[in-house]
Amino acid sequence: MNSIIELKNLTKKFGDKVVVDKINLAIKKGDFVTLLGPSGCGKTTTLRMIAGLDYPSEGEVLFNGSDMAGLPPHKRAVNTVFQKYALFPHLNVFENIAFGLRLKTVEVEAVDRKGVAYLKKIKLSDMLVEQAYTDRKGNEKVKTVKFKNQYKIEEYVDKKGRSKKRKVWLYDKYITDKVKRALKIVGLTDYENRDVNSLSGGQQQRVAIARAIVNEPQVLLLDEPLGALDLKMRQEMQLELKEMHRNLGITFIYVTHDQEEALTMSDSVVVMRDGKILQVGSPIDIYNEPINSYVADFIGESNILNGVMLEDYSVSFISHTFECVDKGFAPNQNVDVVIRPEDWLVSSDAEGAQITGVITSSLFRGVHYEMECLSNGYTLIIHNVDEYPIGSTVGLSVAPDDIHIMRKEKEFNSFKAVFASNNTIQICGADFECNPSSLIEGLSYDTDSEEATLDGEVISLKGREIDVRVDFDKIEIEDDENNAPLAGNIESMIYNGKSYVVSIMTDVGDVILADTEYLWDKGDRIGVKIAPKDFIAQRSENEEV
Amino acid sequence: MKKFKTFTRKYLCLPYGIFMFVFIVMPLIILLMYAFSVKDGTGGLSFEFTFSNFASVFKSDNLAMLGRSLLIGLITTLICLVIGYPVAYLLADKKLRFGPTIVMLFMIPMWVNFLLRTLATKAMFEFIGIEMGMGTVIFGMVYNYLPFMIMPIYTTISKIDYSLVEGAADLGANALVTFRKVIFPLSVPGVLSGITMVFTPTITTFAISKLLSGSKISLIGDYIDLQVEYMNYNVAAAISLVIVLIVGISMLIVNKYDKDSSTMGGGLW
Repeated sequence: MNSIIELKNLTKKFGDKVVVDKINLAIKKGDFVTLLGPSGCGKTTTLRMIAGLDYPSEGEVLFNGSDMAGLPPHKRAVNTVFQKYALFPHLNVFENIAFGLRLKTVEVEAVDRKGVAYLKKIKLSDMLVEQAYTDRKGNEKVKTVKFKNQYKIEEYVDKKGRSKKRKVWLYDKYITDKVKRALKIVGLTDYENRDVNSLSGGQQQRVAIARAIVNEPQVLLLDEPLGALDLKMRQEMQLELKEMHRNLGITFIYVTHDQEEALTMSDSVVVMRDGKILQVGSPIDIYNEPINSYVADFIGESNILNGVMLEDYSVSFISHTFECVDKGFAPNQNVDVVIRPEDWLVSSDAEGAQITGVITSSLFRGVHYEMECLSNGYTLIIHNVDEYPIGSTVGLSVAPDDIHIMRKEKEFNSFKAVFASNNTIQICGADFECNPSSLIEGLSYDTDSEEATLDGEVISLKGREIDVRVDFDKIEIEDDENNAPLAGNIESMIYNGKSYVVSIMTDVGDVILADTEYLWDKGDRIGVKIAPKDFIAQRSENEEV
Repeated sequence: MKKFKTFTRKYLCLPYGIFMFVFIVMPLIILLMYAFSVKDGTGGLSFEFTFSNFASVFKSDNLAMLGRSLLIGLITTLICLVIGYPVAYLLADKKLRFGPTIVMLFMIPMWVNFLLRTLATKAMFEFIGIEMGMGTVIFGMVYNYLPFMIMPIYTTISKIDYSLVEGAADLGANALVTFRKVIFPLSVPGVLSGITMVFTPTITTFAISKLLSGSKISLIGDYIDLQVEYMNYNVAAAISLVIVLIVGISMLIVNKYDKDSSTMGGGLW
């Protein structure tokens, strides 16, 4: 087993809120691993649990195979570069970097009162070393001194050209050499005596990195270290960090919400969402083979389209059948199809192309043009180095292995509902009007008397449980939460070429997916409406038995 | 006709300037004049220059009294610091839910009139049967001035970014080292502010020593009070001037240790 850090069923709860949910992850020694996800996905909490700054609610953090539970941060062989640097304002650059070095301990053999040998931790400065000296009579002798009192005699030439001798304290020299080397690694040579408050953001960041790596940790944890820097500085630091990782040869665990940063620097990317790991893989794997439409959308730009798998190696989307390389799906299974914008082959003549479309917008992006193309009623995003004028008809093709097919996480919303009265059902803690006769087979319902009759008997439906499904496009989103029975917040949106698939987090923590033409903003407070006719009864598993 | 064309912000300083002159500069000038002039029988100002007032200040029993005042001031400040720092440190702990309540408990006695509070302390001592003396005076001083030590320290500690504590722990510091190398150095401005706010008033206070020592211990404040009572304004002014100098010098020393003087006094609410 060559993994240096292993997370096993790691869970963190703050009160009732589960921030990190039973994650499992093995990190290989020497890797550059990035935890990637939007804010609030639990990536920083995971990092803090590795550092020891937060303790897991459940699960384990294994370091070289042994559990670190309950081990305080100062006893762990990891060092952290904090998001806001956390440099000590009362110390200069040198002392900030030397902080950890001066606290360094070594294990020495000692004998306890009963005469049993054991390993004792002492400060490095108190370690016993041998010191050669000349006594008053001129005899050369050796005595044992603490490291901080060890010196060597150095000859030097003073200003007047005279040769002189002086003592050099070896412990001080040891610290100074290490600090200077760390400063050289981060590119801040000769900054030792600067006040940390007088440094720019980028320089402070470098000091923070130097302060961590000077301790030679086995694992360096970086919590969005470049978040506060401007774009140019950030790109420069990305390269330098990667370079440092190569030179130091230690494991880096890096937390970021910036997918580009993750793809640029990492050996391995861990995509997280809502406290769970969605996908682990190399940047190339994650980019080319996203596990679901959420990862595809989060990692880079993409066309995410609804498709139907007709048979093995054949998929239909945007009203056309394409050849693909995927198999093993049920016939006519609904799938998500992901095509990266740069994978569309564009030609000005429609002949030989798989589909045709009309260019509706074009933006110059430096290396390529980002164009939108309307085809069969779907809007597709295309990246191409050549520009095609707006309004022109183009032919589009895509290679079979550039079509990425993913199982849909959900094809419709299903709810466990309870009848609140004869004509209302409760889902997600809210009451919706429903049409009971369409939900229960053989039931007749009189709208005037509100009486329900089943098998000739008048019954009360209240309290009866039923599984219902609601299709995505039957969920109506209302601006004003007071006009709808159920309220929630927009969590994420994915454009599928024609409409947006919106994920709504209700106040009770259920997720509802809705298909809507309108663009909402993340975090918007909205109301959810469902028409009575759109509740469809679903046979629950119990009933079938 | 000249128009009042430019009404700039500096005109708004005018009332304050007048106030400063009348109530701060003028009294100081009058103090100086009294201190260096011969006593006029009526208590008014005479314009006859003399150093004799200072000569009577530096009599041996007065010097002993001055020394006693400084000593009590120092002891009080030290006790306030020893008690106040841990209290402030505990209160600043954000995990402590009842912290604000304790701060209130320390502050509520401050809302009671100072004389009333001291009289109540005296009554308590008499009730318990403790003999009045040096100990009771120092107790009264500490009791009265402790909040002035706690508040500035509490404010500076609670302003320390918690990530610095985490950073220190991450670099290998245990709680004690973190305190010694990070929290304490960063709380020094609050400590200095607290020292200033306790030491300055304690060396000149008069009611506490009078009430809580049963008039046995006389401090420099009591002496000034006495001189004013005898309409001996010139000597009172001279002593006050000496104290201003002593306080000024001690503040200079304190400030020398405070690099970041902008936080001075900032701790006062």
